[in-house]
Amino acid sequence: MSLHRIFTVEELATDESFRSWVMAPTPELDRYWQQWLQQNADRAGVAARARELVLAVHDIYKDDLSEDMLRYEIAEITRMAEERKGEGAVPFYQRAVWRAAAVLLLTGGLSWFYYTTHNAIPPSGNRQEITLGGEMVVRTNATEVEMTVLLSDNSVATLAKGSSIRYPRQFAAHERRVYLTGEAFFDVAKNPEQPFVVYAHETVTKVLGTSFRIKAFEGDNIEMVAVKTGRVSVYAKKEYETSHGTKPAGVILNPNQQVVFNRKDNKLEKAVTANPGLLAESVVQKDQVFDDKPVAEVLDAMARAYGISIVYQPETLANCVISAQFNEENLKQRLNAICQAIGAGYDMENGRVVISSKGCN
Amino acid sequence: MNQEENISDATDLNIRLWQRFKAGDAEALGQLAQTHYRALYNYATKFSSDPDFIRDSIQELYLELWERRSFLSETAFVKSYLLKALRHKLIKESIRLKRFHEPQVAFFDADPSDPSIETNIIEAEHIRFQNGHLKRIISLLSKRQQEIIYLRFYQNLDNEDIASVMGLGRQSVSNLLYRTLKEIKEIWAPAEFFWLLIVFFC
Repeated sequence: MSLHRIFTVEELATDESFRSWVMAPTPELDRYWQQWLQQNADRAGVAARARELVLAVHDIYKDDLSEDMLRYEIAEITRMAEERKGEGAVPFYQRAVWRAAAVLLLTGGLSWFYYTTHNAIPPSGNRQEITLGGEMVVRTNATEVEMTVLLSDNSVATLAKGSSIRYPRQFAAHERRVYLTGEAFFDVAKNPEQPFVVYAHETVTKVLGTSFRIKAFEGDNIEMVAVKTGRVSVYAKKEYETSHGTKPAGVILNPNQQVVFNRKDNKLEKAVTANPGLLAESVVQKDQVFDDKPVAEVLDAMARAYGISIVYQPETLANCVISAQFNEENLKQRLNAICQAIGAGYDMENGRVVISSKGCN
Repeated sequence: MNQEENISDATDLNIRLWQRFKAGDAEALGQLAQTHYRALYNYATKFSSDPDFIRDSIQELYLELWERRSFLSETAFVKSYLLKALRHKLIKESIRLKRFHEPQVAFFDADPSDPSIETNIIEAEHIRFQNGHLKRIISLLSKRQQEIIYLRFYQNLDNEDIASVMGLGRQSVSNLLYRTLKEIKEIWAPAEFFWLLIVFFC
């Protein structure tokens, strides 16, 4: 244990192992440094000062960055980088400036030059579009059960555990784009004018209004898309992104079909879905029976079953009573059935279902 | 040794990560950004108290690196280079925004005056025998001294990196650090040695 022959406060306070011991001790570090202190009893004062210095500096200069915030910021940087990928055509003179700037940055000298030059370049159109694109929301399912995510276009995503979805609070006019890591079942509200596009790691899935499941976990060798209703187009992400306006070559899936993307050979393979369980919204079937129940009670039970909030005006719905039985129905199908029964409508706003009704007589 | 294994693992990962970054994989940028995000965020809070401004600045920093990815070498993602680039960005922007948005004084800003701790000597005398006084001693240092203490003992940079980040010569950093530590030591009585001092002064 002659590893730490240390003589000054400064040496000790900048030693990584010592710092870890002071700020986040483990039994192993504890054992090591206790032993060090015994063997270097004459350094006890130095160690005490170094410890106090490290703690004081960390206390003075601490910040309030939470884990959630950090994750969100990294996701934002990733998303914006993805959006700016297309910015390939840089005029020659700008490139020369960049190169010069990079060299200056690397040599560590005159870096003010880079900043002044850089800021003289007007922001590109692409950048503007991104800021107008709206605030992104990231939902990660860290629980053991499924998580129901409501999107602003009345579509529903059911996230499997360990999965994460990123989407804008309000979708852009020409496209409803979401990013998925992991597994989710999508029940997409129909809108032929505004395709719904799911970006996974290696695949892009484009639909107009249907339901389907995507499985795309980071560590897996395959990604899978299985269709329950409607028609779905699936593309390899590389091809989709390099198609630039021309129609990318993809696979069209009909109900009960699935496609598997093999990351190794970069290929899409179509097949019939062998596992019907994949085509259900929830892994656990949510059976519900309502017999002459006030609608308010029914909606509250739905909210509990899906872990979502459903907003309505109790006074307006006071006289509404329904009977219904749900087994395999999706959330959207259940909401449709209830609303149809009482002549109401629903919208998804800010991650909540909002019921609009004129009441029942 | 265990530590060495970890290091070589990390290097392998970085090479792959770097290749993915170069190839235009946005997720790779995300992972690179994650490595030093906390360090950058913390440093930025010493220049601005506006979290939105800080987040935007760091985001911009990484997206600039992303846009220049075909010309970059790995060193662009070295901690001290990132800190330096962010420092420039923050100082430049906050000077521009100061009169509108930043009424309060930041920890380290572009303050040209550099008063020594001596000017605060009377207060220093007062705090000599108080508890938790090291924090107060540090808070009495000049902004440059505080920044150097911060970079050395919070960010754990060596003198060369500090010189690069603060735009000073190596010798200046070494002198300033020496002077600062000496000043701290002159009035700092660590808790454990409190009784010794009392005996000595009685």
